[in-house]
Amino acid sequence: MSAKTSASTSATASMSADTRAQRTLVAARAQRARDRRLATRDLILAITTPILLLVLWELCARGQIIDPRFFPPPTRILTAGWEMILSGELWEHTAPTLMRLGVGGGLGALAGIVVGLLMGSSRALNAALGPLFSALYPLPKIAIFPILLMIFGPTELPKIIAVFITTFFIMQINTVSGVWAIDRKLLEAGAAYGATGLARFRHVVLPGAMPFVFSGLRTATGTAVVVVTAVEFTGATTTGLGYLIWNSWQLFIPEKLYVGLVVIGLIGAVVTTLLSRSETLLLPWRRER
Amino acid sequence: MHATPSVAPVDAVVAEDVSKVFFSGTDPVWALEDFSLSLEPGSFTCIVGPSGCGKSTFLRILGGLEERTVGSVTMPEASSPIPAAFVFQEHGVFPWMTVLENVAFGLRMSGTGKTERLGIARDWLERVRLADFADSYPHQLSGGMRQRVAIARAFATGSSVLLMDEPLGALDAQTRMLMQEELIALWEAERKTVLMVTHDIDEAIILSDRVIVMSGRPGTLREDITVPFDRPRSFDIERDPAYSALRARIWELLREDARTAEETA
Repeated sequence: MSAKTSASTSATASMSADTRAQRTLVAARAQRARDRRLATRDLILAITTPILLLVLWELCARGQIIDPRFFPPPTRILTAGWEMILSGELWEHTAPTLMRLGVGGGLGALAGIVVGLLMGSSRALNAALGPLFSALYPLPKIAIFPILLMIFGPTELPKIIAVFITTFFIMQINTVSGVWAIDRKLLEAGAAYGATGLARFRHVVLPGAMPFVFSGLRTATGTAVVVVTAVEFTGATTTGLGYLIWNSWQLFIPEKLYVGLVVIGLIGAVVTTLLSRSETLLLPWRRER
Repeated sequence: MHATPSVAPVDAVVAEDVSKVFFSGTDPVWALEDFSLSLEPGSFTCIVGPSGCGKSTFLRILGGLEERTVGSVTMPEASSPIPAAFVFQEHGVFPWMTVLENVAFGLRMSGTGKTERLGIARDWLERVRLADFADSYPHQLSGGMRQRVAIARAFATGSSVLLMDEPLGALDAQTRMLMQEELIALWEAERKTVLMVTHDIDEAIILSDRVIVMSGRPGTLREDITVPFDRPRSFDIERDPAYSALRARIWELLREDARTAEETA
């Protein structure tokens, strides 16, 4: 083969390699574009479905297909809500519920985390309290509410305590599991590098248990909202969103009942979102998993 | 002190007649029986033995991670608050700390000031070629990089004794060879007293001055072999006929016990 022909074949070879690379790139770009289109579609579906359902509800209620006395159209609920905001009635009920959740839930979570960490790291403490707490945990907190009322009278205290107990148990159990779930190697690494006492707590046990603490906080939020609503149903109070819902049912004002429901739902959603946000912020090492 | 083969005046680590017995049901299990070992300061020693021979147990007893049943362990020259710095096989670095914080951890626990410990840690990251990853978290690194962090953390404590429990055991073969080279280079520059447990005969020969061969359970000393190759070392020694002879001899010592361990495990 002469030098000339071999040069020309290698030229065509490199040219075809170029076009092949280009074709592959084009295909890869098409693939990426398709992935993006699918992601956009998912987002649109996620937003439009609830909106469509609300529109359907509105139309059915106005067309008397569903009984508007039980299912008032969303626009009427919205108007009722707006009026309640303007008159201050909504805040009058939202503030006490938030206070009970914040104080009872906040302190309960704090106490639960501290006790959980101590029980997780002290064998003696866990032996002393573990079985007792396990026995008390499944007890419906709302069932002991009358006892609390009996002891403390119809004040704020029994309601706060009911929420406190609820979050305390959930957080205590989750935190203990969190401590136990820490890889033994990491506890040993802590010991091998001289982490004892408070330093061990701060640098090894607490951060190691944090993922469980956060999942506990999310569970506790949901349960605390249920308990605070139930406590406010009982007639031991004339404030709170639970009372608003219950009272609206008794007076048969369905719009207000739905307003209470929506606000309670919003509180749960906001707290849960805040928790997720702070988890990514506080536990950067859990990102990208 | 005792009739040990070493001629050094004071050994860095002296373990005498260490036994470890635990109970499996009602039967006592002898993990280690009357095991004695002295390490010269600045020496690199590997322990090889069949699985379950108690080599890791011995290392963990030295590192204070496990209690011995009887026997004595002394480290006369231990200067830092921890007697020895430990390197674990894997998962030993804290996932919630950045690479830099991990390397500085031992110094932080011993009360070294922030500027000083971070300076030392940065220095060590430089030496294990991880300076660019100082602020990364361990899960963002490869397995080999994570072990470099673990090794840097041990060296950074300034402890004169390093205990390594199969530090390269979880790495793939190629990464492992690269890490062996790096470990030799680091050690030759630092000359700490290193005791390393491994199940890899080649690794033991390439890295160490002395190979301790242990028998199967209960773990006792089978043979104490001095590795004749000069320092600084490289993988070139693998081509030396003495290397193959040594390798064959260690394998011969291990073979019987390894088979028994395999069949009873």
